[in-house]
Amino acid sequence: MTLFLYAIIGVILAPFAGVLVVGLDRILTAKFQSRIGPPLLQPLYDICKLWGKKPMIAHRFQPLCVYIYLAAAMVSVGMFFAQSDLLLIFFVQAVGAIFFVIGALLVPSPFSQAGGNRELIQILTYEPLIILVLAGIYLYTGSFKIDAIYALDKPLLINLPLLFIVFGYALTIKLKKSPFDISASHHAHQELVRGVLTEYSGKMLALIEMAHLYETILILGLCSLFWTTSIWGMALLLVITYLLEIIIDNICARMSFRWMLKSVWTTGIVLSAINLIWLYSGARI
Amino acid sequence: MFENLITTLTFCPLVAALACYFLRGERLRSALVIVTGIVLILSAVLLIGSAPVSMTPALFTSVKFKTFIQSADFLLLGLILYFGIKFKNRIIIGLSLLQVIILGYFEFFMTAGTHEAPVGIFCDHLSLIMVLIISIAGSLIVLYALPYMKNHEKHLKLKKSRQPRFFALLFLFIGAMNAMVLVNDMMLFYFFFEITTLCSFLLIGHDKTEESKRNSLTALWINSLGGATLLIGIVLIYTQLHTLDIQSIISQVQGKDILLIPLALLCIAGFTKAAQMPFQKWLLGAMVAPTPTSALLHSSTMVKAGVYLLIRFAPAFAGTSLSTLVAVCGAFTFLSAAALAIGQSNGKKVLAYSTISNLGLIIACVGINTHASLTAAIILLIFHAVSKALLFLCMGSIEQHIGSRDIEDMRGLFGEMPITALVITLGILTMILPPFGMLIGKWMAIESASGNLLVILMLALGSALTVVYWARWAGILMGSDFSGKSTPEKMPLFSKIPLFTLLSSAILLGFLTPIIYSSMILPDFSGLVAAPFSIHNGIIFNNQGSFAVYPLFFIAIVVFLFALFLSRPKKAAQQVSPYMSGIQGKQPGSFVGPMNKVTTYTQSNYYLSAFFGEEKLSNLVNMTAGILILILIGVSF
Repeated sequence: MTLFLYAIIGVILAPFAGVLVVGLDRILTAKFQSRIGPPLLQPLYDICKLWGKKPMIAHRFQPLCVYIYLAAAMVSVGMFFAQSDLLLIFFVQAVGAIFFVIGALLVPSPFSQAGGNRELIQILTYEPLIILVLAGIYLYTGSFKIDAIYALDKPLLINLPLLFIVFGYALTIKLKKSPFDISASHHAHQELVRGVLTEYSGKMLALIEMAHLYETILILGLCSLFWTTSIWGMALLLVITYLLEIIIDNICARMSFRWMLKSVWTTGIVLSAINLIWLYSGARI
Repeated sequence: MFENLITTLTFCPLVAALACYFLRGERLRSALVIVTGIVLILSAVLLIGSAPVSMTPALFTSVKFKTFIQSADFLLLGLILYFGIKFKNRIIIGLSLLQVIILGYFEFFMTAGTHEAPVGIFCDHLSLIMVLIISIAGSLIVLYALPYMKNHEKHLKLKKSRQPRFFALLFLFIGAMNAMVLVNDMMLFYFFFEITTLCSFLLIGHDKTEESKRNSLTALWINSLGGATLLIGIVLIYTQLHTLDIQSIISQVQGKDILLIPLALLCIAGFTKAAQMPFQKWLLGAMVAPTPTSALLHSSTMVKAGVYLLIRFAPAFAGTSLSTLVAVCGAFTFLSAAALAIGQSNGKKVLAYSTISNLGLIIACVGINTHASLTAAIILLIFHAVSKALLFLCMGSIEQHIGSRDIEDMRGLFGEMPITALVITLGILTMILPPFGMLIGKWMAIESASGNLLVILMLALGSALTVVYWARWAGILMGSDFSGKSTPEKMPLFSKIPLFTLLSSAILLGFLTPIIYSSMILPDFSGLVAAPFSIHNGIIFNNQGSFAVYPLFFIAIVVFLFALFLSRPKKAAQQVSPYMSGIQGKQPGSFVGPMNKVTTYTQSNYYLSAFFGEEKLSNLVNMTAGILILILIGVSF
């Protein structure tokens, strides 16, 4: 029952935490680019503003897809806080990811079609990496459940360093940060317009932004699992990781999906394989 | 009671086959199909109470029956030889002659017709599940074939209907499959295995075009290869153990690391039937057959015969290096077929590759060979049969309606045939999304495969590829012009019943997975220290993880209804056409370009042929798979 309560609290608080994270992200990004940047709560203002827009819909089934996307993101965050099965959490968030793409593919628009297809390639790129990371966690803890990680007395990071890097790749792709902002970049003035997001507007876009906040929290939550033994350690890991994300986002250009698929799969698989072999061999620090 | 049910399940389709062939009236045929279907479904359901049973019907002990099966065996091989000679195919001639010689030597010299009759029928829950799939999915597909074939022949403008032959073969096949999963005698198993090969050959060649003739011959030679390895395996087992009793063979071999060579041969026979790499070619070619054939034989039922063989013998090679190699071969097929599916825009080919790929996943689970992974294998087997049969039937309807198999031609299908578009989209979603059954199986598969580096690597990659080719397809089906209102298409009743029954079973059975597991899968595992999974409040769990089936279904239903309610069409919402970075053209799909010129645009999915094209991958895949098979044989020595 307490777990259920955690889940509810998690689902309620996650978007607020998400707003702060994304807000900080935008301020820091602005600083890197010698701009002042928006206020901290700008993501929240954005959502509110979008919510007030006149509804315009490009396809009758699009809202359905958006609601399911948001719901899947919420459920997966809830399951995370209820310390459920990691693989199952990942599958549930995949429901959202797929409906997000289906929503984009529904509209006969070249931009959203290309964006949707590229988003699928992004999913294709990060999904195996995450499954391998989870397999690594299983090999170390003997379980796919989150509570098994909390029962550890040493941070997961020590024995899964390469898998953490692999996870970093997956994280960057999932958050659509440069160089992997391939399906939709932050700015709508590129060849794709806004790619997979082009045909979403108003309330629907607001809901997608919310789902995105949930996903950010889920990803950071998964990231926090690599250092569960100390709250400071966890905070440090999260801050450093996210800071690195922002820096990489700012210093990289967008790359093509072909490059992404090739380079990330090669690096990711090699790194995962090495780390997994360490774990299979029973080597433990 | 049990004996009567078994007799009905095997002989009733046979009688129906004969009746279909000789009574040529169309009405009569429809009545026959309906009655047989109902009888089969009822008998299969009634059988649920009986398992597990092993018994020998009086018929099996009679000398006449034995002689009859022997002569039928030779007749069958003779028929295959005849086709080999007729179409001048040397491989088929060679393989069938080889089988005739081995069989003759075995029957007349080695055993001289004296070998002790094994227990005739063995029906545990695995057989029961197979019988249920064959009888229920099979009957629904034959029902669907009634309007389909009528339309099909209208399109072909045949002078004389060839439907009697078609339906006779379908029923013959169903009877043979039912018998095959129930018998406990290796030679009988081989006999029915060969019948399915012959049925498949005749059905693929049904349309008598050049292409179908060529592809049917490919199917025949590859499956004859499987038949030959099966037969050699049986003979080798007999020389060591002097028995043909499947259960007795398994219990004698279990945990002993002996007889790996014949077991490897049985595995290879299973691989050919299940169209695993590098034997996949025949299944792809089989797609020229009328769609009910593809649905029944080449996706939901016959290809499962190979998998059944492997699951049946899994305990015999548990813990051996052969088992590991089986897992690697299966996982490799899962990955490579999924990759090849990405490169395809031909819908039927995508379905074929996906079938190969999913069978690979099942076989990988068999090879991992723990109770948990075998549970995964059986769950995947059930749900794949249901969902894939559904997808094929939808594909058939779509093909007859729009005259194309290409996924790109199915853009905006919702505008033309909303019911079918909705059903196929939901069918696709049951393949890839939790909480549906396939995903429960995949979850179990990945969790139990994590102990094997190579297998988990391939499963992780394959799983992602699978999502892509399905999601891409599902995405474009429901699209249509916003303005274009769609009126539900007219569909014959016999097309509707199978589609909706299969769709609702795909969803409902997913919900019932915990019950299926505890009542149909768990009882088959003997000598358990701990059950592979426990069930509590509809949550499937063990030490490794948990899948909350009921809660997730509950959430899914609530979310879906809520989302449906929230997204109902509202008057206030303005409908807009796609953003085109400029002025829209008057026609949909156009914009006003430079110099005021109206420019039309098209769109297409990514098929990534530079990475996943058949011409890029096929050779590499076949070579790797061939090497894996050689290693598999090698480790068995």
